[in-house]
Amino acid sequence: MTATISTTSVTPTRRRRRSARLSPLLVAFVLVPFAVESVWVFWPAIQGFWFSLTRWDGMTPPTFVGTDNYVELAGDATFRGALVNTVIWLVLFGGLSVLGGFGMALVLQKERRWVGFYRAALFTPVVFSLVVTALVWRVFYQPDGIADTLLRAVGLEQLIRPWLADPQTALYAVILPALWRQIGYVMVLFLAGLKAIDPALHEAARMDGANAWQRLRHVTIPQLKGVNAVVLSVIVIDSLRSFDIVWSLTKGGPYHSSELLSTYMYSTAFQSLRLGYASAIAVVIFVLALAVILGYLVRAFREEAS
Amino acid sequence: MSDFDPGRRRFLGHLGLAGLGALGASSFLSACASSASGPTTSNGSGAVTIQSNLSSPQAKAAMEKLIETFNAQGKGTASLNTIASETFRTQLPTYLTSANPPDLYTWYAGSVANDYASKNLLLDVSEVWKSLDDYPQSLRTLSTDAIGKQIFVPMNNYWWGFFYRKSNFAKWGVQEPKTWTEFLALCETLKGKGVPPIGIGLGDTPWVASAWFDYLNIRINGAPFHRELLAGKQRFDDPKVKAVFTRWREALPYFDPKGKAYPFQEATTALLAGKTGMFLIGTFFADAAPKDALGDLDFFRFPIIDPAVPLAEEAPTDGFFASAKTANPTGTRALLSYLAGVEAQEAYVKASSGIVLPANPRAKASDSPLVVKGKAMLNEAKELTQFFNRDSSDALQPTADTALTKFIDKPDQIDAILREWQAGAEKVFKG
Repeated sequence: MTATISTTSVTPTRRRRRSARLSPLLVAFVLVPFAVESVWVFWPAIQGFWFSLTRWDGMTPPTFVGTDNYVELAGDATFRGALVNTVIWLVLFGGLSVLGGFGMALVLQKERRWVGFYRAALFTPVVFSLVVTALVWRVFYQPDGIADTLLRAVGLEQLIRPWLADPQTALYAVILPALWRQIGYVMVLFLAGLKAIDPALHEAARMDGANAWQRLRHVTIPQLKGVNAVVLSVIVIDSLRSFDIVWSLTKGGPYHSSELLSTYMYSTAFQSLRLGYASAIAVVIFVLALAVILGYLVRAFREEAS
Repeated sequence: MSDFDPGRRRFLGHLGLAGLGALGASSFLSACASSASGPTTSNGSGAVTIQSNLSSPQAKAAMEKLIETFNAQGKGTASLNTIASETFRTQLPTYLTSANPPDLYTWYAGSVANDYASKNLLLDVSEVWKSLDDYPQSLRTLSTDAIGKQIFVPMNNYWWGFFYRKSNFAKWGVQEPKTWTEFLALCETLKGKGVPPIGIGLGDTPWVASAWFDYLNIRINGAPFHRELLAGKQRFDDPKVKAVFTRWREALPYFDPKGKAYPFQEATTALLAGKTGMFLIGTFFADAAPKDALGDLDFFRFPIIDPAVPLAEEAPTDGFFASAKTANPTGTRALLSYLAGVEAQEAYVKASSGIVLPANPRAKASDSPLVVKGKAMLNEAKELTQFFNRDSSDALQPTADTALTKFIDKPDQIDAILREWQAGAEKVFKG
């Protein structure tokens, strides 16, 4: 009896003390990952900023050149081309994968015969690594390959060109396989969102005489707000880090016509061995990604607050 | 010897970099700077580590056998480390500058090696060369750095030429051309027969175009000018360089239009299938050829344009250099002496599939007619060049790829292309 009384009387004070002082375990959970991140992420990132102010070939020690690299970037036609291509990529790859993914999700949301098969078929490209995807599409694009054969079959042989080697088409020929993969991924995100919408809302809208378009516009899309945030960040991040598919298909060529900031950074760093200049490009990519994502986050928080 | 080839860029090497994001990229760059130790280390007087980019199955097996024989001789121990060639290429500076680097490396002679030597990264192997006194002077010069010490030990070299199928040339009733005029006439004949005369493979392997530039330049302006140009002592927008492209333009209508889209391996297939007439390429291309086609292959030297220019040929030389920081210089030099010897070189030539000429003059090359002809061609040459990237640097190669593929597409923009090339090259030379 006494024992129970004493414990009950002790507990509140202990609890109070605990809330005042952080548990060592909790501190460890925060500090250990922070330390690891500092060594492997933050410190190298800060170093990257420092390297962008130097001239460095990777062998001899870096020499400080101030903002020379950024001044050079401003006048570098290849960099400007890569920046424009990155924007085209962001708009086309991002925009079309959202439209395509959302469209597919709408078409495939109702349980029908074979719908599982179609969903799986659309999602399959996501399973392949992008480098494997590139190998498959290279066969598709090669001279007298499947693309050319198809065009010939429908009588459009005047359109045939070296898809990946023609500066007019190279960028778009690379976006297509990237889209082929991304649409399936975005579709799955939207499908999950659509499933979470309460069918009663649609029911109510229908009772009020809303047609299919009005239900889509005023019920489905507003309800997908949470998914949209995820999709947007995925798209922006995937666009800016797109590298593998471009590198495996064209290496940014022919003569920089399908160059993205990421491929230009890579070739500057590891082919031209101009690591200082490449770091400056990396900083630009970082700032771009940060700007887009911060812009979105600020808006999202503001909406939440109001 | 395919894997020794200069620009054989394997994109598989980039798999690991696939996910580079912006921040990740900067951290990757700095990871190179801050890495203190190389991927492999040798401990003191222990085994000599040899870092090899000879990753094709036959070449790899040949190297393994050599190292096995060396270890059995009891003069030291060595361990072989084979690395995918693109990874090797991008990591080489990191290996050499790390605190505890691998001892010995397969790589190329010429400017690329001298560059590292000028940064004091390479071991002085003059001692090994004392026993190589029967090597030709050309190889000795090639292996000597700016201050006169030897830093490279050659293993073998190969040649470039216009390859064709004997049976096809017989079928079309055409002969090997000797001069540029004869060459253009041959192209015209083949075109008349509906065969794209000149095969090329620039998709994924744009560096193949550099062979055209190298050859036209050494035929028109000579090898000394070519070397000076690639060393940054001449300008790419010089009228002498423009003359190279004026000649090239005469041959452009005869290029296989599909060549822009596929890599040199597929251009090889096209040549063997009779879909193109001839193909300017290095002997490594035969790796991809089926055995029964090998006997039907022949080649002719790049046609003479100006007979007054001393004859030069491209003969890329492959071999070894060692890290200046090796913990075991004695063992490393012993291994190099073994690799430069007749026994090792003959064993390598026999075991590897490629058509190569051993560097040691006493080592016997394969006695196939193709190899005999290649050797005779190189012996006749007054000067040997290496290849664009080997006579300059891997860093300059992408500027050539851009300029040359653009020229092939848009020959009328040559002045602008050469200006851009000069600007790009200046950036590379500036660092």
